[in-house]
Amino acid sequence: MTADEQRLLDRLLAGEQRAFAELVQTCQGAMRAVAYAIVGERGADEVVQDAWLAAVRGLAGFQRRSSLKTWLLTITANTAKTRYRQDRREVLLDDLPAPHGSIDDARFASDGHWLLAPSAWHEDSPEALLSQEQLRECLEHTLLSLSQLQSSVLLLRERQGLELVEICNLLDLSLSNVRVLLHRARLKVFATLEHFEDTGQC
Amino acid sequence: MLTCKQLVACSSDYLDGQLTLGERLMTRQHLLFCRNCRRFIKQLRLAQATLKALPPAPVEGAEALAARLAAERRATR
Repeated sequence: MTADEQRLLDRLLAGEQRAFAELVQTCQGAMRAVAYAIVGERGADEVVQDAWLAAVRGLAGFQRRSSLKTWLLTITANTAKTRYRQDRREVLLDDLPAPHGSIDDARFASDGHWLLAPSAWHEDSPEALLSQEQLRECLEHTLLSLSQLQSSVLLLRERQGLELVEICNLLDLSLSNVRVLLHRARLKVFATLEHFEDTGQC
Repeated sequence: MLTCKQLVACSSDYLDGQLTLGERLMTRQHLLFCRNCRRFIKQLRLAQATLKALPPAPVEGAEALAARLAAERRATR
């Protein structure tokens, strides 16, 4: 745990509202992603609420061995798992169609070379890409098309920067499943950006 | 020698450091000779960075939640 986190924790223990507001801002997105992966859209918000309350009640016992965020995500995953023991094994690797497809077999010749090689994108920085409002919307559309687990794994990895093994532990997934989910999600995002850069529209 | 299709199949593992040393060397070797796959990897990294740079969705009711949590904490002290 960093010195900044130590200070934040002291303020949280003192019951300072600003400190809780900071924590909510930094952790709510990741907590929601974990809850969503386990219980789906309907129960996710409730799980996050319950996890927050459980965390506050357990705050004094927080061991300071992990980061606050890791601790909160563990509480969220446990809350979600206890409340909803649904069997999601069969939907595990569900691969739903994305608006602009993926980088699939059709892109390659039978000898494994590119048939349709990736085109060069006009923009080469995230800021330039995201300055186009239509592209932002297009990207969000693609993210919404992902399955529950694909979208959660992608978000936890790319936006929250979690290690693959952390994602495995939180969501009770094997490393190979996390790798597959992440790869498929990334290729769909790639296909959307490529489509937009090629055509200028969504 | 890897094919382009095989390179794309292991591209995420390459970015995440999940390849064995041998696989990594084969991937690097392919990239050395293949412009298309270099572009693919470069743009896959750009796609990653773009996702990361997406503005976060505002947390609805964040202040109210913070107030409730702070009150809860003060009550349990």
